[in-house]
Amino acid sequence: MLSIKRPTPTTVLYTVSTRDPPQTLVARTSTRLIQLARLLASIALAILLLHETCLAFPPPTTPPSPTAHGLASTIQALRLTPPLPSLTHLLAAHTTRLWRVLTSLGLAYLINRKTHTTESLLVIRGLGVQTSTSSPSYLWTSSTRFIPTSSIQDVFIHEAFKGFECRFYLCIVVEGEGEVVVVFPTILPRRSALEQIWRGTRACLYEPKT
Amino acid sequence: MHPVSVLTFGIFIAGYITARWDLVTRVYELAIFAWDHGVITRAAKGFAILSILFALFLIPIERVAAREAAIVSSKPGLSEAKSIEPDDLQHPRPPDAGISAREQKHGLMRVFWPSDAPRDDIPGVLVGWRNSELDVLVVGVLQGVEARNVEQALRVQSIFRGSVHPIDNILDRCGHQPLHVLGTLNAPSATTAFDAKLLSLHNTRRDGPRIDCPRDAGFTVQIVMFDRPDPRNMQYLSKTPISLALGDKRGAFGSVPPFETIDKEEEAEKKRKEKLVEKLKLHTVVRHSSTLKELALPVIINQINCSAELNDLMQRNISMVGARFKRSLSVSERVVESATNLMDSMLLWLKHVFFRNVWPVVAQIFVLLLMAHRVVAEATLRVLDWRPFPHAAALKDVSATAQQVDIRLQQFCYWPAQYLTLQRRRGDWESIANSHPEYIRFYNSLWLVANDVIIGIAVGSYILENADSVGAQIDNIVNTYSIEGLQRTITWLMDQPAGLKLNNELAKFLGDFFLWVIDYWDNSMVQLRPLLPHIVRLIGWSSFAGASLPISLVSDLVSLLTVHIYSFYIASARIYNWQLTVIISLFHLFRGKKRNVLRNRIDSCDYDLDQLLLGTILFTLLFFLLPTVAIFYATFAGARMAIIALKAALDTWLACLNHFPLFAIMLRLKDSRRLPGGIRFELQDTPSALASSVSRGPDRHAQAMAPTSYIKLKSIPLPLSQIFSQYAQLGHRLRKHYLSPRVFLCLVSGQFVPPIHRKNMYSLQYSMLPIQRVSIGELWRLLTSKGQKDGSPHPNGNAGPGHGKGRQGKSSKVAPTYWWSK
Repeated sequence: MLSIKRPTPTTVLYTVSTRDPPQTLVARTSTRLIQLARLLASIALAILLLHETCLAFPPPTTPPSPTAHGLASTIQALRLTPPLPSLTHLLAAHTTRLWRVLTSLGLAYLINRKTHTTESLLVIRGLGVQTSTSSPSYLWTSSTRFIPTSSIQDVFIHEAFKGFECRFYLCIVVEGEGEVVVVFPTILPRRSALEQIWRGTRACLYEPKT
Repeated sequence: MHPVSVLTFGIFIAGYITARWDLVTRVYELAIFAWDHGVITRAAKGFAILSILFALFLIPIERVAAREAAIVSSKPGLSEAKSIEPDDLQHPRPPDAGISAREQKHGLMRVFWPSDAPRDDIPGVLVGWRNSELDVLVVGVLQGVEARNVEQALRVQSIFRGSVHPIDNILDRCGHQPLHVLGTLNAPSATTAFDAKLLSLHNTRRDGPRIDCPRDAGFTVQIVMFDRPDPRNMQYLSKTPISLALGDKRGAFGSVPPFETIDKEEEAEKKRKEKLVEKLKLHTVVRHSSTLKELALPVIINQINCSAELNDLMQRNISMVGARFKRSLSVSERVVESATNLMDSMLLWLKHVFFRNVWPVVAQIFVLLLMAHRVVAEATLRVLDWRPFPHAAALKDVSATAQQVDIRLQQFCYWPAQYLTLQRRRGDWESIANSHPEYIRFYNSLWLVANDVIIGIAVGSYILENADSVGAQIDNIVNTYSIEGLQRTITWLMDQPAGLKLNNELAKFLGDFFLWVIDYWDNSMVQLRPLLPHIVRLIGWSSFAGASLPISLVSDLVSLLTVHIYSFYIASARIYNWQLTVIISLFHLFRGKKRNVLRNRIDSCDYDLDQLLLGTILFTLLFFLLPTVAIFYATFAGARMAIIALKAALDTWLACLNHFPLFAIMLRLKDSRRLPGGIRFELQDTPSALASSVSRGPDRHAQAMAPTSYIKLKSIPLPLSQIFSQYAQLGHRLRKHYLSPRVFLCLVSGQFVPPIHRKNMYSLQYSMLPIQRVSIGELWRLLTSKGQKDGSPHPNGNAGPGHGKGRQGKSSKVAPTYWWSK
């Protein structure tokens, strides 16, 4: 899915994403639902961790003093019997600690994983181009690379074998470097989109001849 | 608030709470009491009712009011635009004044704009650099002054008065250009005519900066906003990642035997790639010559780095602009001033006396101590690096302890030079960021050594207190594994291990032989046993010089105590290898062939009958004896590998203690802008006001603005992979060396596996040190030149009073000896 943002003819941002921007009601509700599910899962994970700490460091078993039956007893109760007791107790009763660690790690991985990849190419006349690839997880930021115009030797579309198919890719040749920079390296959009981006990039990057 | 003061405050609160614990319990009881009597629920109810009221009534009222205000304010704008139009007609601007036809056609105006520029309505003057005709960088906004006066002040440089360091240092870094007045901000007489020499900008809280440039002038505008890096916090922008290691020293350390082949392969790969790159150059059809704007980027980055300090200086001197210098103070005013400054001047006098009388003596003694230390270190380093024969191994190539001592001494030798480089940094602007990597390296190594000593003291005190039990433990372990364990294994191997039918006679012979040597070794160990507690004490004492020293001592001790295993490994490997070679050549004979050494191939050969018969019999014999020998070989090879793994673990530990980028990681967490890993740009959304005026362009000519893109310039923090790049590189080379098929082949065929040279292992640790250490004479020259500076006007000590005087004099009169007066 290619989207173009062009505030002026000298600055263009091409964004390629594996997911359409949510337009319809169904798509929007589904993204909201997924976010909700993530939130619920993270809360469940937090409760699981709380329960584990309770198991590892058991709270003192002295009976609650008569003066501290209000707030303190609530906290005590929360520590002794966490909310969502059925799930955590079920897990604690039926699995070993190793399995619980593994499940929580897997859950954390799923919560933090992004379901889509976004890659972009920002072309600024007079400065250069910048490629960026979004990270596979919400935990760290996307990786970007800025290439000044003075060190760009050429921009072209080429083809390469990947597995059993032949894919086209847009690449930037940087002067004095042994390897070309592939734009959109994980998505590798189709040739029609690439051609459009290539034309736009060349037109935007260099000043037109008089 | 300053972090240190926050910390102090926190510590104070924590201390107070611990001291007056009863207060806390009382507060706690109060909270419980409030909860029980329903105070909190009542308060929550009240809060909820109030917030519902707020949401229902106040927010809609606020929205309505805002909309009305917007309608009212847009009307004057309309009338103003209309009133300007005739003015514009009276003075029609020549269409291409000052701008070439080409620029006019595809003009791209680029403005670098600091994001902390004021956003209020006060008119101001933009000061900054003009890198080319349509490419400007705004350093600061001077508010409440006239553009003409600012121009004058910039020309006579009175606006840079009171700078501690010469301003030319900054200007030289920023492209040898003087600062200019670039335009005005929020000027009341806003004209819509566009002049590249004198821009007119508006900066509002809502929309950010906006250039007054009509759409039909044919320009497009780029506004690149940057957050100024703060040079006092050593932040800076950099196009290339900051390098934490000290240059590329592969040539000095990498070309030792086992890594030679890897280096050669890498070299060949590099050459192949260079050839491909050369070919790729031929594919480029059109070469675009770079424009001035494109070439200005490195200079612009420097300008951004310097902009914070320059801006501060100009804002300090804003009162100088367009003002006559004040009269000198009257006598009574001077009396008042000296009275208020009495305490300060007393302190200054004391400081002066200290630096005049005490400081030179202390500094001289310190320099002499340093030199004595340097001489001793030089002698020790020479001993460690001494080779009896040209190609023999030096002491530091053999022993981990010697290596560790060598590293420490080299660090000690490098520190004074490093410190002096950092000291020199103080004599210049903070913006000049050449020595920041050096700073990080210096403090990293200092911190690591301090850490090392702290851990060492803990370990050492433990070892010294329990020397006897530790000694007994070590003795026990050595006995169990390297003597009794080995004896048991050999006995087991002699007696049909795991049901394998070995050749009993050969197994008995080999086993007896090895057992006999182990017995002999055990006897000599018994002689050494009483010495063990003393050795342990020695290790304990040594650990007060850092935990790395006992670790390297243990590593050496392990190699010494397992010498017998090493010799067993070599002996069994030789036997196994000989037997394998003989079997292979007899196999060729068995097939009626032989190996031609001259051509390095296998030829057929006519053997006689007796040769064939004898050869075949010998082949069978040796073949049936092979499993017995192989099993002994496998045992000792396994033991040897375990020892190598142990020593590798110790070495990794050492590498972590000596080299871990602790300071860099701390900086990365605390202030990632101090570790720049490049720059990146982010396309911002065009503010709604501008976008709407653009869309309404055709019907309202006067309001239509040139298309503008807003870009944010940001710094990328150095990624963790770059911080640990040295480790990654070492790990890669080790993997390439040890997990290569060649090594496995060596292991299987019983050839000697080439151990990795210490030099290769430690190339990581030396990456923070220069190849050639500073010689004694050089150090002496460095230190004494600094000493002279200390004695006579000291940059830090005596600059204090001088600076103070300058500040006093600034208000009264102009000192005649400013640098620009020449």
